[in-house]
Amino acid sequence: MAEAGILLKLRSVSKSYGATAILHSIDLDVRDGEFITILGPSGSGKTTILRLIGGFTQPSGGQILLDGSDIAAMPINRRPFNTVFQDYALFPHLTVEANVGYGLAVRGTPRAEITKRVADALELVQLGPLGKRFPAQLSGGQRQRVALARAIICRPRLILLDEPLAALDVELRRHMQTFLKSIQTEIRTTFLFVTHDQEEAIAMADRICVMSAGRIEQIGSPHEVYYRPGTEFVAKFFGENNLVPGTLGPVEGTTRAIDTAVGRLVCSIDGQPKIAALPAGSPALAVFRPEAVGIGDAAEGENRIAARIDQVAFGGASTMVNTAAVYEPQQILKARLQSRPDGTSLSQGETIPLVVPASACRLVAA
Amino acid sequence: MSDSAAHAGPHRLTPWLATLAAYIVPLGFVLAPMALFLVYSFFSVDHGSIVFSPTISNYVRFFTDPVFLPIFWRTCLLCLAVALLCVLFAFPVAYFLTTLRGRSRYMLLVLLLVPLLMSYVIKIYAVRSILGGNGMLNRALLATGLIDKPSMLFVFNLNAVLLTLTVLLIPFAVLPIFLSLERIPKALRHASADLGATNAQTFWRVTVPLSLPGTLSAMSFVFVLAIGDFLTPQMVGGQSGFTFGRIIYSQFGTAFNWPFGAALSVILAAVVILAIRLGGRLESKHGGAK
Repeated sequence: MAEAGILLKLRSVSKSYGATAILHSIDLDVRDGEFITILGPSGSGKTTILRLIGGFTQPSGGQILLDGSDIAAMPINRRPFNTVFQDYALFPHLTVEANVGYGLAVRGTPRAEITKRVADALELVQLGPLGKRFPAQLSGGQRQRVALARAIICRPRLILLDEPLAALDVELRRHMQTFLKSIQTEIRTTFLFVTHDQEEAIAMADRICVMSAGRIEQIGSPHEVYYRPGTEFVAKFFGENNLVPGTLGPVEGTTRAIDTAVGRLVCSIDGQPKIAALPAGSPALAVFRPEAVGIGDAAEGENRIAARIDQVAFGGASTMVNTAAVYEPQQILKARLQSRPDGTSLSQGETIPLVVPASACRLVAA
Repeated sequence: MSDSAAHAGPHRLTPWLATLAAYIVPLGFVLAPMALFLVYSFFSVDHGSIVFSPTISNYVRFFTDPVFLPIFWRTCLLCLAVALLCVLFAFPVAYFLTTLRGRSRYMLLVLLLVPLLMSYVIKIYAVRSILGGNGMLNRALLATGLIDKPSMLFVFNLNAVLLTLTVLLIPFAVLPIFLSLERIPKALRHASADLGATNAQTFWRVTVPLSLPGTLSAMSFVFVLAIGDFLTPQMVGGQSGFTFGRIIYSQFGTAFNWPFGAALSVILAAVVILAIRLGGRLESKHGGAK
């Protein structure tokens, strides 16, 4: 019997085309009812995972388990999943209604029930009056909604979304992110969403699975992958970050020291047993967000780094200060400070003390 | 300043000349003869010489004489049947072609196009040798014992014309259907399967409707080619396989009535234009939903 709460399990799933390996031994659990995002740059294998689950391509090794049984041999049309394709893949010769009702029609659902459920689905995606139109007569955002309605109408156990927002402009994309999330909350169906956009992933997902070069780098909540990166790749992938290389020192409770060119930094290792287990002297990176960096005197449990200002860039709500460490001019350190109406007194060439609390500083293995 | 003005002359003339050259061929060799036919169709013949005074007697004769209209309708029906048969045979071939990749697809495509490079008359002779009373088909049927004497069902009659035209025109139907099948995105078939459709359902609900534009243009294409053909009926039609094309041909030959032949040609041209427009209309209607 399947584990409670787990809908789908990928166990050492791999995929290769000839000698080219696309996926290396992927282990992933999809929980019932969650919004899980697979995030990665192009070529990381994220779409391949979706295609394997959808049945559009077969794994070279490993198992995909649904309710505890392998679905490798299950044909596409028998899998209880529906897909929202990247270019929507709406049927151009059918009206919006016929597109949405397609999944029911091919299953031989009575006409009256189809009509009712199509109306409900169109209502849900706020396309009620457009049922008689053809896809060519719709805008990008509307097509997107039709594709979504078409996928949810069959009440699948899992909806696969393959970069569905990639073709939309920024404004519409934001709107659709909120919309998708609210739909998912409303129908309580599991969503597996593939994207290369970190902001999109953070805005929508319950959990993010970060991929790179066919491997999973980290799986965790948006907060976790943002503030507690598991690998150097993840640390660099989400927005701007500070990475300082060094060698690991001793563990002290929930913190561990790292000796770097800019001095010894104390970092939190709370919830990161892997880093705690590494032997002293191992190479590692101290990672901290620019917004965690302050200026001033260090208090207890805070790291202090002397730095020289290179550039001060006003960016609206925040001001980005790019600096170089005084003891290691190659080491760039960024601080994102809250902007003030009267401007800042910081100027280029000035030496300032940067302060990073140990709780905001994390370690990743180098 | 004056230099550039001097250069502007020939530069401005060149595109004009090019355009003129491009139009001269169709204007001089297609439109002008057709206009001439239109004019001739209003003349008449008296004792073997053309009378150059306008009359509509040719058209009156076509619509009132009991000989011509039945043959006209029969020919239209025949060509429609040819178009239908061609599409029916060409569709599976075109579909099979889309499933092939690389070298094998290229090879099959070339094989399909080879007949187009052969002389039309030779191809008709080839089909005739298969269909004749002593032809391959009859001999094969005799050998298998299905019939005990040569069947005359497809020897020098309309059936023979139908079969021959179908065989000769299939390649013209394969190409447009193949192209329209090729244009259907793979994602649509994936989407159909993803929504629970079986392969057969995907074929009938997605592939066939979306290939309709190509299928319709293939039909009008074959129809137009078949209705204008007089050589095939002449060579395999015998006495009973009389078609509209043959009548026109005889007006310019044995009957020596050019004005009446011209009038019949004008009617044929009208049918052809109608068929092309109809095909195009249905095509844009079905393809317009893209």
